[in-house]
Amino acid sequence: MPLIDPNVVDLSRLQFALTALYHFLFVPLTLGLTIMLAAMETVYVVTGKQIYKDMTHFWGKLFGINFAIGVATGLTMEFEFGTNWSMYSHFVGDVFGTPLAIEGLMAFFMESTLVGLMFFGWDRLSKPAHLAVTYLVALGSNLSALWILVANGFMQDPQGASFDPNTMRMQFNDFTALVFSADAQAKFVHTSIAGFVAGAMFVMGISAYYILKGRNREFAARSFRMASVFGLVSTLAVVTLGDALGRLDYLSQPTKIAAIEGLWHTSAPPYAPWLIAALPNDATQSNSFEFGVPYVLTPLVAHSFTTPIPGLIDIEQASVPRVDNGIKAIAALQEYGATHSAESLATFTKYESDMGYGFLAQRYAPEQDVNLITPALLPSIEQQAVRDSIPNVFVTFWSFRVMMALGFFFIAIFAFSAYYSLKNQLEKHPLLLKLCMWSIPLPVLATEFGWVTAEAGRQPWTVFGWLPTFQSASSHNIGYMFFSLAGFALLYSAFIAAELYLMFKFARLGPDQHDAAVHHTPADKSISAPIFAKPGFANKSWE
Amino acid sequence: MGNIVKFGALAAVIVFALLLAVVAGDYGPWYFAWLVGTTMIILISVAGAVMFETQLATNQSGRL
Amino acid sequence: MEIYIALKVLWAVLLGVLLTGLAVMVGMDMGVGVLLRLVGKTDGERRTMLNIIGPHWDGNQVWFILGGGAIFAAFPTLYATSFSVFYVVMILLLFSMIIRPVAFEYRSKVDAKKWRDTWDWAFLVSGALPMIVYGAAFGNVLEGVGFHFSWTGQYYQDESFLSYLLNPFAVMCGVMSLSLAVYQGGAMLMLRGEEPIYSRARTYARLGAIVAAVIFAVGGVWISHMNGYVFTAPVDPGMAATPLGGPAVAAKIGAWHNNFHAYPVLWLAPAIGFIGMIFGALALQLHMKIVGWWLGVLSWIGTISTVGISMFPFLMPSSTTPAESLTVWNSTGSAYNLGWMTFFAVVFVPAILSYTSWCYYVMRGKVKVETVVNDPHSY
Repeated sequence: MPLIDPNVVDLSRLQFALTALYHFLFVPLTLGLTIMLAAMETVYVVTGKQIYKDMTHFWGKLFGINFAIGVATGLTMEFEFGTNWSMYSHFVGDVFGTPLAIEGLMAFFMESTLVGLMFFGWDRLSKPAHLAVTYLVALGSNLSALWILVANGFMQDPQGASFDPNTMRMQFNDFTALVFSADAQAKFVHTSIAGFVAGAMFVMGISAYYILKGRNREFAARSFRMASVFGLVSTLAVVTLGDALGRLDYLSQPTKIAAIEGLWHTSAPPYAPWLIAALPNDATQSNSFEFGVPYVLTPLVAHSFTTPIPGLIDIEQASVPRVDNGIKAIAALQEYGATHSAESLATFTKYESDMGYGFLAQRYAPEQDVNLITPALLPSIEQQAVRDSIPNVFVTFWSFRVMMALGFFFIAIFAFSAYYSLKNQLEKHPLLLKLCMWSIPLPVLATEFGWVTAEAGRQPWTVFGWLPTFQSASSHNIGYMFFSLAGFALLYSAFIAAELYLMFKFARLGPDQHDAAVHHTPADKSISAPIFAKPGFANKSWE
Repeated sequence: MGNIVKFGALAAVIVFALLLAVVAGDYGPWYFAWLVGTTMIILISVAGAVMFETQLATNQSGRL
Repeated sequence: MEIYIALKVLWAVLLGVLLTGLAVMVGMDMGVGVLLRLVGKTDGERRTMLNIIGPHWDGNQVWFILGGGAIFAAFPTLYATSFSVFYVVMILLLFSMIIRPVAFEYRSKVDAKKWRDTWDWAFLVSGALPMIVYGAAFGNVLEGVGFHFSWTGQYYQDESFLSYLLNPFAVMCGVMSLSLAVYQGGAMLMLRGEEPIYSRARTYARLGAIVAAVIFAVGGVWISHMNGYVFTAPVDPGMAATPLGGPAVAAKIGAWHNNFHAYPVLWLAPAIGFIGMIFGALALQLHMKIVGWWLGVLSWIGTISTVGISMFPFLMPSSTTPAESLTVWNSTGSAYNLGWMTFFAVVFVPAILSYTSWCYYVMRGKVKVETVVNDPHSY
């Protein structure tokens, strides 16, 4: 079996990573803004105040600009499994494709059909009916995330399927195990609520801009209030879930957690330090520099004071027997494919659980045929295979730290914003408002780094422990890859330019200008009064 | 008649919500947490807005 | 085993339903996109056309996403192989499919002629290209595709992508699919548009229906002189779903007509197609818009079921290694998976159909140029 050109594999990975990261620039805002829109419209329906309808309208418009690209670029991911990862799709489509199909049936259809009504149905639906539509859109977008992350959970910790030597693929055998996999659960909640944080920061930041400019004050103060409170609670939830995810990785993906913590050698509890900064060197398998806080690592990761955390070098060496077994499994599988003999099946079943390590070794076998591995070659192949069995530590270590630092920054900024908003003293703190404004892209950035942590930390596998990445790709000609990469680069750059242009345009225009034509009823009297008539307060402007 | 339909629909929603909560509570503690947590986040944010209106009303009558 | 066979057949039928749903709903929007510059002469008219499908295009696009997801889950090997083998055209299709939503959302948000003209051309290209690719894919599959598998299940391509692009039969199928889309889109514009959109749309819709009918007839004759594929060894429909080590297959001229000769009642399928296209053109001529639209649906049903019946049980025959052709028997998911997929389809497809119809009901009625131009929320 010829090896797929490593350059094609790398370009396929690059293309998937870039298109996924790009898609995820828009997803968090969709997840969060739909829920925020539902909250705003709830206030409108409960209190009957026109301004909350205006808020829903205006933020809904910005949501729409974002949603279109989110939908468009999401299609790319689904296509790419087939166009660039054919071996992967063949190998796990039976179990991985199912949540994607259910996502379409259950969630995406609802979200996309009703989003039309949400935008265009204001005059055609009663207040409660329109509110219900908005809630269903919000539910739909989050259910969508649920099924996608169930699929992703399978890649991280394959539950609910087993390998079938007759069809040479993983076959689905337990629906509840797949859907209620611990990894899928924690990752869904973490990702969905990270989206809430992004939505909250977006609304809060743009409102801060209006408050700073001293315009649309009634509108901005209310939006700011709702967003800051919404964001504070959400951020706390995200951090909690981040800890839960870390603990799950510690249980199911020890290589990922060791890479996140830059841990080459098994830790010595309880002293083991938690590294704040380090320069992990993947070539020498050591940290060129490290700086940490003692006694923190063990309780943080293992939730205990006595458990040692396995380090990468020790994990590698512990995997050597798995490589040996894996080679036997692959040889038996190949024989079974040709002969269907009971004997080869028995051998395969015996070593089945180490099959993935056999694939890792197969790469270094002469002519990619494990039957040609001689005892003299074995030791070097074992070492090459186990060196491949861990992720890139530098990338995993730092992407995790950036994400985490941003998370704690969000707690601080939302805490201050919520506090001053509740006290109605925002206008006294222009620096905080400016910070809010400049922080708009940060939650999206944090989710991107979170994705990198999760997916780079999963390497070298596409399905953890079963199928290596280098074997998952389609066997394309490299020219195909240049064609598609160039196309994506061109299109996606144009899209982001158009999106940013429109976002800035409509955010600057503000709610008055763009909504002037749709005010069917005169604005509420209550909102024309200055918000807080303390002396010298209301007239203050920081323009 | 209209009321009966309304009660029926409401009862169906409640039964569905209970069923969802029981299943999620049994098999998916984090999913359950998401359901409860998201509801809570929305309610707290709505409460923030309602509090804003109250503060505004109090302020206009000169007591803030 | 019998249950597994039944599930395989059921999902082959559902695959047809999905491809039809996709063709009807997405095709209609694509048709409007293609007609945008031809039917709409002023900016107001074009905006009106966009707003006719405005509240629905997003939901319609999901048919496409659902189609991809369902093929992924129900026919993993077919999905993996077909998407990779047709890489270049699939990527082109993908590019058009991602330009469209952006074009909808962004076109009318800036009031500049150059900006809007650019997006109008984007609508034309991103409407025509996917429909041509969609039809051409059927054409290529009918002719057989060059691929084989390694022992692990990895596919290898034996043919250059140029042979899929520059292939007269496939191009003809592409033009037919485009014509049906124009017909369907034109009928929709007649349903919800007023003069002058109405009359111009009528001209193009009738033209689309007639061109499609002519190509459908030519295609039927062409296929009888073309290679089809047949099993030359006994087949076990309940076999393990793998393309490796299956029964022998041979290419034979005219074999795609075998199923029709075996069961003459199946000639109904192409008959339905012709009825849809010919009576559709007539109905639009007589201003029977609703009947015309539904006859368009019938045309798609007839066309796609004709293709499905003539190939059954083949899905994507291999011209270079016929024994590794993908069929309904060897490329589905496991019985367990198909069972769950069936459950979800039974629960959610009726729900989808009902809220989609509700959506059309809520947004019913003519779309007027003045309303569109004066509403800041419209496309």
